[in-house]
Amino acid sequence: MTTLKKACAALLAVSMLAVTTACSGSTSPASSAAAGGSGAPAESSAASAATPTLDKIKAAGVLKVGVKVDVPNFGLKNTKTGEVEGFEIDLAKAIAKDLLGDESKIETQAVTAKTRGPLLDNGEVDLVIATFTITDERKKVYNFSDPYYSDAVKLMVKKDSGIKSLKDLDGKTIGVAQSSTSMKAIQDAADAAGVKVKFDEYATYPEIKAALDSGRVQCFSVDGSILSGYVDDTTTILDDKYSPQEYGIASKLDNKDLAEYVNGMVAQLKSSGELDQMIAKWKLN
Amino acid sequence: MNSSPFSLDKWGRLFVSWQTFAEGFLTTLVIAVLALALALLLGIVFGMFSSSHLRGLKGVSRVYVEFIQNIPLVIQIFFLYNGLPLVGIMLDKFTIGVLGIGVYTGAYISEVVRAGIQSIPVGQMEAAKSQGFTHVQAMRYIILPQTVKIVLPPLTNQAVNLIKNTSVLAMIAGGDLMYRADSWASSQLLYGPAYVTTGLLYFVLCFPLATWARNYEQRLKSHDVQSAVLLQKSKKVFWGSLPELSKKGAA
Amino acid sequence: MELLSSIFSRDNVLFLLAGMRTTIVIAASTILIALFFGTILGLVRNYDHGILGKLSAVYIETFRNTPLILWILAIRFLVPIPAFYSGILSMSVFTTAIMAEVVRGGLNSINKGQFEAAYSQGFGFFQTLRFIIIPQCFKNIVPSLLSQMITTVKDTSFLWAVAIEEFTGKGMILMGRFASSTQVFILFAFMAGMYFIINFTLSSIVRRQNTKGQNLKKPVLVEA
Repeated sequence: MTTLKKACAALLAVSMLAVTTACSGSTSPASSAAAGGSGAPAESSAASAATPTLDKIKAAGVLKVGVKVDVPNFGLKNTKTGEVEGFEIDLAKAIAKDLLGDESKIETQAVTAKTRGPLLDNGEVDLVIATFTITDERKKVYNFSDPYYSDAVKLMVKKDSGIKSLKDLDGKTIGVAQSSTSMKAIQDAADAAGVKVKFDEYATYPEIKAALDSGRVQCFSVDGSILSGYVDDTTTILDDKYSPQEYGIASKLDNKDLAEYVNGMVAQLKSSGELDQMIAKWKLN
Repeated sequence: MNSSPFSLDKWGRLFVSWQTFAEGFLTTLVIAVLALALALLLGIVFGMFSSSHLRGLKGVSRVYVEFIQNIPLVIQIFFLYNGLPLVGIMLDKFTIGVLGIGVYTGAYISEVVRAGIQSIPVGQMEAAKSQGFTHVQAMRYIILPQTVKIVLPPLTNQAVNLIKNTSVLAMIAGGDLMYRADSWASSQLLYGPAYVTTGLLYFVLCFPLATWARNYEQRLKSHDVQSAVLLQKSKKVFWGSLPELSKKGAA
Repeated sequence: MELLSSIFSRDNVLFLLAGMRTTIVIAASTILIALFFGTILGLVRNYDHGILGKLSAVYIETFRNTPLILWILAIRFLVPIPAFYSGILSMSVFTTAIMAEVVRGGLNSINKGQFEAAYSQGFGFFQTLRFIIIPQCFKNIVPSLLSQMITTVKDTSFLWAVAIEEFTGKGMILMGRFASSTQVFILFAFMAGMYFIINFTLSSIVRRQNTKGQNLKKPVLVEA
C-alpha cells in the first residue's frame, strides 16, 4: 500500500513538473475558453506599420509555410531523410532567400486540403504553398498570389472496374477531399454530361485511396498532380481533364503587405525564368 | 472584423444552412438509439456470461471485452469500413455506425452489468437456488432486478459516451452531425460558429442524461443509508417473527 | 513471405514506429496534464461552493458532454500552435474534465467524518486534504485512473481527423499504398495488435488492482 502511495505521489510530482516546465499552467483552461467560443474575437491584429507582417517574419527570422507532404514532385516527405521535397518547397525556399537572405530559413508544416485554410487563419503558418487552387470564393477569405502552376482535376479508377470515362460513373460514388475544388468541378462536368454522381468527402487522401481499394467509392478525384502519387498496379488515371486548377500562394486576408510582396516575388520568379527552371527540375511540364 | 472566426455574418450564413445541421443531428440520434439498444443487449448477455460459473462462457465474455476495449474505436470503424469490403462484406455507413458503436459500447456495458451482479451478495443466489430456482431463473427474478438500480447511473454514463462516440463516423463520411458540420465548415471556410453549434447540439443530448445519472446516484446513496436502517429494523422483525414461523412449521 | 516484407520493409516499420512514438508521447503528456488539472478541478468542484466551484462544474460538464473529436478540430483550427501541441492541448482539455470526475468519485468515496476527525486533531482544511483525503482518494481511484489511461491511448487515434500523424495516421497512410486485401488485413491486424498490447498490459494492471481492492473494499464503479 505504501508503494502505491509513493507511486501516486511520484506521478503527481512528475505531472506538476511536466506542466510547469512544458507548458505554462494557464494554457488549458484559458485557450479552451477561447476555443469554446465565448463569442470573443480571437485577436485584433493591429496594423499600424506599413509592412507589419513582413516585419514580424523578419523579426522571427523564419518563414512558416504550410506545404503538402504527400504530393509527389510538389511536396513529398522523403521517408529516409525526413525532409519535405518538391516544386512548392523550392518555391518557399526562393521566397525565404529573398526575404530573409537564407533559403533554409523556412519552417514547413504539413497541411491537408482540410487544414490549410484554418492554419492560415489562426496564424500558425504565414503562407500556404500547397496545391491551393485559386477560386473566387476563396479569394474572399484569403489573399492569393497570381498563379504559379496550372493543373486539372482528374479521375482515378480501379483498372478492373471497366470505367473509361465520366459517363461510366453514372450512379457511382466519387471520393473527394474535404475543402477541395474537385467536387464542384466534377459536379459541373457531370451535370453537363447528364450523369448523376454522389460524393463522399474525406479528410485525407490516403483515406480516399483506401475507400477506392475497398470499393466504397468507385472513383478518386482530385488534381492530377496529387493523383499521380497514388497510382499503383491496380489503378489508373483517366485521360479526362476538368476545370484547370490554378495554384496560388495564399496568405491571411489581413496580411496585405505579405500578399503584395509574395505576388511580386511570383512575378519576379516568372520573368527571370526561375519558375520555369523549377517546373522543369521537377518534371512538371 | 471580418477575420474574426465568430463574426456576425458568419453566424448568419450558418442559420441559413440550419437544415444540414438538423439532418446530421437526426442521423446521430437514430444511430445512437439503435446502437444503444444493441449495446444493452450485448452488455446484459455478456455481463451475465462473465458472472456465471461456466469457464467457457466466462472466457467468451473476457475475449469480447478485452478485444473490444483495448483497440481504438477508430480502428474498429475503419476496419468495418475499408477492411470488410475486401472480403465481400459491404455494410452501409448507417449499419457500420449502429454495429460498430453498439458492439464497442456493449463491451463497456457488460462490465457495468458484471459489476452490478457481483455487488449482489452471493448468498442471494444460493438462497434462490435452495428454493428450487434455476440459475437463469434466479438471475431473471432475483439478481437482475436488484442490479438495475445499481447499474443505472454507470449505464447512463455509457449512453453519454456512446452519443459522443458516434462522432467517430465523421472519419468515414458517415453523414452524422459531426461529419455534416465539419463538411459544411470546410466548404464554407467557416469554423467558429459551426463548431459552437455542433457542441451545443451534442450537449443538449448528453447533459440531461449525465445530470440525471449523477442525481440518481446521489439519491441512491442517501437512500441506501435509509435502506440500511430499514434492513436492520426488518431484521429485528424477522427475528421477532421467528417463533411464529417455527410454530407454523410445527403445525 | 514476400508479402510480409512488402508491408514490413525497414522504411515502413520505422515509419510506423515514429507514429507509435507520437501516440505514446501525446498520450503520456495528456495523462499527466489531465491528472494535475483534473485533481485541482475535482477538488474545487467538490469543496468550493462559491464561484470557483461553479466554474469548474461548467468546465467539467462542457467537456464531458461534447465529443473529443469536436475539440480536436476546434483547437486545431482556432488556436495557432503546431499540430503536435494542438493534439496534446485538445486531448488535455478534454481528458482533464474526465479526470476531474474520476477524482471526485474518489473524494466522495471518503467518509465525511474524516474531516471532522482531522479537524479535532488540529489539522487545517488544506492539511487534511493533503495528508488525509487526497492519499486515500488516489488509492481508491487507481483502477479508474488506469482505465482512463487506456481510454486516452485509444483516444489519440482521433487525432488523425486533423492529419496529425500518430500511429493510426501512419497506418492509414501506408494503407493508402496497399491494394491487396491480404496486405490491408495484415496491416489492420498489426495496428490493432500494437494497441492491444499496450492497453492489455494496462488493463491487466487494472484487474489486479481491482481484485486486490475487493478484499479491502467494494469496487469503485467509475467509468468516466
